Amino acid sequence: MTRQLNSAFHRRSSYPLPFLDRLLSTASRHSAILLLFFVCSGVAVIGVFVIRDLQAASAEAQKMYIGSVHGLQRIGELQYDAQETRRATLYALTTSDSNLQVEYADQSRNADQRVKDGIAEYGSQAMQPAETALAKRLSSDWEKYLDVRDEVLASILEGSTKEAVSLDLSGGVPAFERVREDLDEVKRLYGEDASRSQANIVASSRRSSFKLFGILSFTFLLSSAAVWAIQRSRMLSRIQLAKLQMEFVASVSHELRTPLAVVSSAADNIADGLIEGKDALRNYGSMLQHQSRSMGHLVDEILLFASTEAGTNRYVLQPLQVSAIIDSIMATTDGLIRKAGFALDRRIEPGLPLVMGDLSGITQCLQNMISNAVKYGGQDRRITLRAFGARSDHGVHREVRISVGDHGIGIDSSELSRIFDPFYRSLRVTSAQIHGSGLGLSLAKRIAESMGGKLSVISELSVGSTFTLHLQIAKGGDMQKATDASRPSSSSRP
Amino acid sequence: MLRRLTKILIVLALAAWPHADAAQSPAGSSDPLVAEQSSTSEPLVIVVNRSNPVDDLSLVELRRVFLGNRSHWANGRRITLVMRDPGEPERKTILRDVCGMNEDQLKTHFLHGLFTGEILVSPKILSTPTGVRKFIFNVPGAIGYLRVSDLDDSVKVVRIDELLPDDKGYKLHVQNQAGN
Repeated sequence: MTRQLNSAFHRRSSYPLPFLDRLLSTASRHSAILLLFFVCSGVAVIGVFVIRDLQAASAEAQKMYIGSVHGLQRIGELQYDAQETRRATLYALTTSDSNLQVEYADQSRNADQRVKDGIAEYGSQAMQPAETALAKRLSSDWEKYLDVRDEVLASILEGSTKEAVSLDLSGGVPAFERVREDLDEVKRLYGEDASRSQANIVASSRRSSFKLFGILSFTFLLSSAAVWAIQRSRMLSRIQLAKLQMEFVASVSHELRTPLAVVSSAADNIADGLIEGKDALRNYGSMLQHQSRSMGHLVDEILLFASTEAGTNRYVLQPLQVSAIIDSIMATTDGLIRKAGFALDRRIEPGLPLVMGDLSGITQCLQNMISNAVKYGGQDRRITLRAFGARSDHGVHREVRISVGDHGIGIDSSELSRIFDPFYRSLRVTSAQIHGSGLGLSLAKRIAESMGGKLSVISELSVGSTFTLHLQIAKGGDMQKATDASRPSSSSRP
Repeated sequence: MLRRLTKILIVLALAAWPHADAAQSPAGSSDPLVAEQSSTSEPLVIVVNRSNPVDDLSLVELRRVFLGNRSHWANGRRITLVMRDPGEPERKTILRDVCGMNEDQLKTHFLHGLFTGEILVSPKILSTPTGVRKFIFNVPGAIGYLRVSDLDDSVKVVRIDELLPDDKGYKLHVQNQAGN
């Protein structure tokens, strides 16, 4: 079974995107919402770009529309005023009343001033060389017509109607015809300019459409990738959980089978009458006792994990002396340490304050840590138990830390983030045939957190590991409450 | 026969000439000097088109121009005479101080001149000083008169006997009527 799991693990290691899987796994552990948040943010940013692009295209179209309207209006006014100049001059021919003639002359001059202004405006706004040249030509032709017009007006006002008509026919009509042709040319150039602008708008609109399509496609792909990633991360999590559960079942079966085999074998020997003598029987009894306790401990651990998983485990926090905690842990683990041939180096900082916690919980937590150190302590067989005061990670409060260090095989940095996962067991550990359920550290971490503390680890491969339990310092109010309640110092567990 | 026909035409023309003096003068007097009712006066300036090279005219020359005896300027441009409506104080001043005639005499003079061909064009009659100004602005050979207060840059003032309106001894002054 273990071999099968190992081979499965090796297969997984050869997966082409291990980094992606690790990333997805991490994302999955934290929250899929985070991934969705990034996708939504991406879509929002893209949306802003799309809106800005559309607004720019709209502004361009609007500018062109306003420019077209203004341009057409300007050309229309220019043509009208040119005609008005000539019309007013010719109206003066229709009367012999000098007052009326002067009035018409005045109208003609006002109109011609508007034409001059219009030509000047056209010239100042000319963008193309052709437009500039045309503006100059139009201005020149208009001045030539005005010279004739002035003579015609003078003749009309003098009363020389025939002379005026003759002048107009010989000079005025051709000059005005040239002006009219110039105005037609202005119109034609304007039309070409408008066509160019329209083509630009069409091109811009097409570009916007392409951009929009591209952005929508990108958004769709991004969303699809996000959904795929979320689904994959969930699937990986489930696979991982299933694998861990399988490993757990295999491990627990193995852990149970070993003492069970010893018990079964011992029972068979006793039943078959192979055991003779009191001493041999005592030995067998002792062995049966040890094996049954080992099985009981394993079952307790599983039940404790089940209760923390269900959230039914409640600890009563109260001020505790660090020395009491150390005494408690020493009482429960002394046999284990000695039996494993380990030496315990105790370094307890004097004058440590009271900490908040549940004695049985802290003991359970530290017991798991020491058990872990014994299990993976390697050949050095030395465990360091330290208790000391320090600033919390945020540097705001002080706390008491109890650390358990070993000089064993250590933990690979890539595995540090997973060692507190339930049922997780390192490949190196399983390969080394080191037995365990994969629940010890997970349980210790949960117990620490449920008491308001935390569990941290520093480890280096082949150098050793140090697990540290961070405990809050009891405050004045906590100690007063503890005194008032007058409760026994032992913890209660549901 | 021809003389009789001429007399008939002159009589008909005289009948058609506006009798503004009668309307202006309650007493029905045709003498412009009699019609003066105010002691205040304002210089009356002779104006020409800005392109006209003439800067100075003697009173005698001016009389010839206003009576149509001179038809062209020195540059060859035909002279177009601009007058205000009969009865206007400015016209009265010109008749009195330049032409030395009354309305009837001027009328007769022009009808006779036109008929005989000595005068080519009769004066243009304009009803407002603005009209006079604009007419002279539009016609290079035009000459007319304006009060100093009606002047602007669109026309050119001509010195009379080398005198401008502000100069001492300037002879043309229009008499403001009471209530004007």
